[in-house]
Amino acid sequence: MSHTRDTSSIRFLTTLFVLQLLTSCALPVPVPVPEPQPVKRLLVLVGDVNLIQAIQSPSASALLEIGVRVFGTAQKEAEEYEIGDWVFDEIIQKETQFLPHLLKNTLVDSRQWGAIRVIPDRDPSLDLIVEGQIVQSDGETLELQIRAFDSSGREWLNKTYADQSIQEEYPESTRFTLDNTFDAINFVDPFQDIYNRIANDLVAVRTNLGEQTLRDLNLVTDMLYAGDLSPSDFSGAVKENEDGLLVIDRLPSLDDPMMARVADMKYRHHLFIDTVDEYYQTLYEDIQPAYVLWRRYSIDQITEIETSQQEASQSDYGSSSGFLSLSQRYDRFKWSKIFEREFNDLAAGFNNELAPAFLELNSQVHGLTGTMEQQYREWRGILRRLFELENGELTTNATE
Amino acid sequence: MLIKVENLVRKLGRGRSPLAGIIAALCLTLNVSAFSQDSLPQLDLDLPLRLDFSGSWEKDFRRSDNWEDELTRTLRIRQESAIRQQSSPGSSRSRSTPPISIGNLSLPRSRGRGANIVDLARLAEYISRQSVLDIVQTRDEIRIERRGEAALICGVEYERQQTFSSEHGVEVCAWDGQQLVFQIMLPDDLTIMHRFTVSSNQQVLNLLTRIYSKGGEPFNLIQAFNKYEAPRDEFNCIQTLSRGQVCNQSGADLSTVLDN
Repeated sequence: MSHTRDTSSIRFLTTLFVLQLLTSCALPVPVPVPEPQPVKRLLVLVGDVNLIQAIQSPSASALLEIGVRVFGTAQKEAEEYEIGDWVFDEIIQKETQFLPHLLKNTLVDSRQWGAIRVIPDRDPSLDLIVEGQIVQSDGETLELQIRAFDSSGREWLNKTYADQSIQEEYPESTRFTLDNTFDAINFVDPFQDIYNRIANDLVAVRTNLGEQTLRDLNLVTDMLYAGDLSPSDFSGAVKENEDGLLVIDRLPSLDDPMMARVADMKYRHHLFIDTVDEYYQTLYEDIQPAYVLWRRYSIDQITEIETSQQEASQSDYGSSSGFLSLSQRYDRFKWSKIFEREFNDLAAGFNNELAPAFLELNSQVHGLTGTMEQQYREWRGILRRLFELENGELTTNATE
Repeated sequence: MLIKVENLVRKLGRGRSPLAGIIAALCLTLNVSAFSQDSLPQLDLDLPLRLDFSGSWEKDFRRSDNWEDELTRTLRIRQESAIRQQSSPGSSRSRSTPPISIGNLSLPRSRGRGANIVDLARLAEYISRQSVLDIVQTRDEIRIERRGEAALICGVEYERQQTFSSEHGVEVCAWDGQQLVFQIMLPDDLTIMHRFTVSSNQQVLNLLTRIYSKGGEPFNLIQAFNKYEAPRDEFNCIQTLSRGQVCNQSGADLSTVLDN
C-alpha cells in the first residue's frame, strides 16, 4: 500500500518537474553571438641571427656584470579570459622563470660580458639589468618585450622581439619515449634567434658608449651598492645629471675602511646571487625535456587548428540538411572540442609535472622563507643589517 | 546552528538526569570541534548560490522520452494543425510540396531550407545516447562529463559565458534561474540546446535537448536521470605531460610519485 502511494507521489512529482521543464522552454534563452575572431597581429620577426662572439676578451671595464631578471607577463583584461584559460596562464608564469635562463646562456656564450646571472629582482650591485615581458609564447611564436638599462639609468634596449618556429626545428628526440631519450646537449631552442638578436643588440649599445663611460658606470654601480647597504653614509655619492642619469658626485678615499667593508659585502652578496642563479639553471635542466615536449604539442595543435580552419572554409555545409550532414556537423564540433579539451589536459599535465621542480626552487635557501623573490629580498635585508652591525663595531673601535 | 546547540545544552542542563549531562557534554564537544576547524570553505558572496547538480546520474529509460514516440507525437500535432488550417474557411493552400510519410502518418514537408523534423529527431537521439552523466560542481564551476563527448563546463556566474569556439561551432552557457543552459551553434544555422534541471531533493535530474535548424520548428527530447552511488576509484591519478597518467592507490601522497 505504502509502495503504491510512493510510486504515485513520484509520478506526481515527475509530472510537475517535466511540466516545469517544458514551461521553462518558453523562458528567454540567451541568444549567443559568435565572438569575432581575433585579428592576427603583424609580427616583425628577428629572422636568422648569428650570435656575435668575442674572439678576444673585451677590456675590464667592458666586462659588465649583468642581471637578467625573471620575466613578467602582459596582464590580460578580465573579459579576455575564457573557462580553462588559467591553465595556460600558469604555464606562462612558469616560463617567466626559465626563459631568462636561455637569454643568460646566450649572453654567456657570446663571451662579451662579466658575470651574468638570472635574478628574481632588481639588484643594485650589477651594472646592467635586463628585464623582459612575455607578450606571446606558444610552440609556434615567441614574442618578448625587452628592456635593458644600466646602473646609471641609461636605457640600452626597449623593444619587442618576435620569432616563429617551424615543426622541423623540433627534432625527433623531442617526442621522447623510454627508447628515444631527449638529447639536451644537441638541442637548439627553436627561438634561439631572439636571444642571439638581444645579445647582439646589447653589444652594439656597449660599443657606442665608449671606454670612459663604461669605467664611470662601474664606479656608479659600486657607489649605488654602497648606498643600498648604508643610505646614510653614501647618500651623496651619486647625483642625477641634466640628462637624468646618475653620475659620481664624490668618491670616498681608496683606503676608506667602509669601502673595504662594502667590497666584502658585495662579494658575499654575489656568492648568494650565484647560488640563486644555479637554482634557476637546475630548474631549467630539470624541466627542459617536458617543456620542449609541451612546445611540440603546442605547435602540433596550432598546425592542426590551421588545417582544420582551411578544411572548414572549403566545406559547403549548406548543400545538405539530411541526417548525415547534421550528424557530421555535430561530430566535427564535438571532435574539435574534445581535441581542445585534451590539449588543456596536456597543459594541466605539464603544470603538474613541473610543480615539484618549482617547489624545490622555492625551498632551496635554508633559513629563508617564501618564494625565491621573497628569499632574495630577505637576504638583502640581512646583509644590510649585517653591514650596520659591523659598521657600528668599526665606528666604536675608531672612537676608542 | 551554534545557537540551537547552545539552547539544547541549556535545556538539558536544567534537568537532573545523568543522560542529559552526557548529551550536553557530547553536544558541547561536537560544537567545539566543528567550529574549531580551519578548513571551512570561505563563502564568496559575489558568487550566486546554485542548486547542487553534482553526483553520478544514470538514465531512467522509463521516464525518458523515446525519440520515435516523441517524433510520432510531434508529427501528429503538426498533421492535426495542418488539417485544421486546410479545413478552416478562407485558408489558402500554401504548400504544394509532396508530404513526408512516416508509417501511417502523412505530413507536409517543412517550409524553408532548414532540416526536417525527422532528421532533427534522429540527431537528438544521436547526441543523447549516453546513459550516464558524472557531474562535479564547485562554488565556481560545474562540469558535466559524458562518455564519448567533451565535458560541458560552465561557471556559476550570472552572465552568459562562451565556453568553446572554433570554426566548427560555438558553445555558450548561462543560468536561467536555477536551470543550466548550454547552447551550441553549428554551421548552417543548426542549434542544439541542453537545459539541465535538478529536483529540489537532488535525486532527479532532467535534461531537455532541443534542436532546431534555421529558426524552424524545434524537436524536443527529455531525458530523466536518477542519482546513484558510483563506486569509489581505487586509484588516485594525476595527469603529467611526459609520463601520461601517474597513479597510485587512493589515499597515498601523489607528490612522491611525481618526484620519482
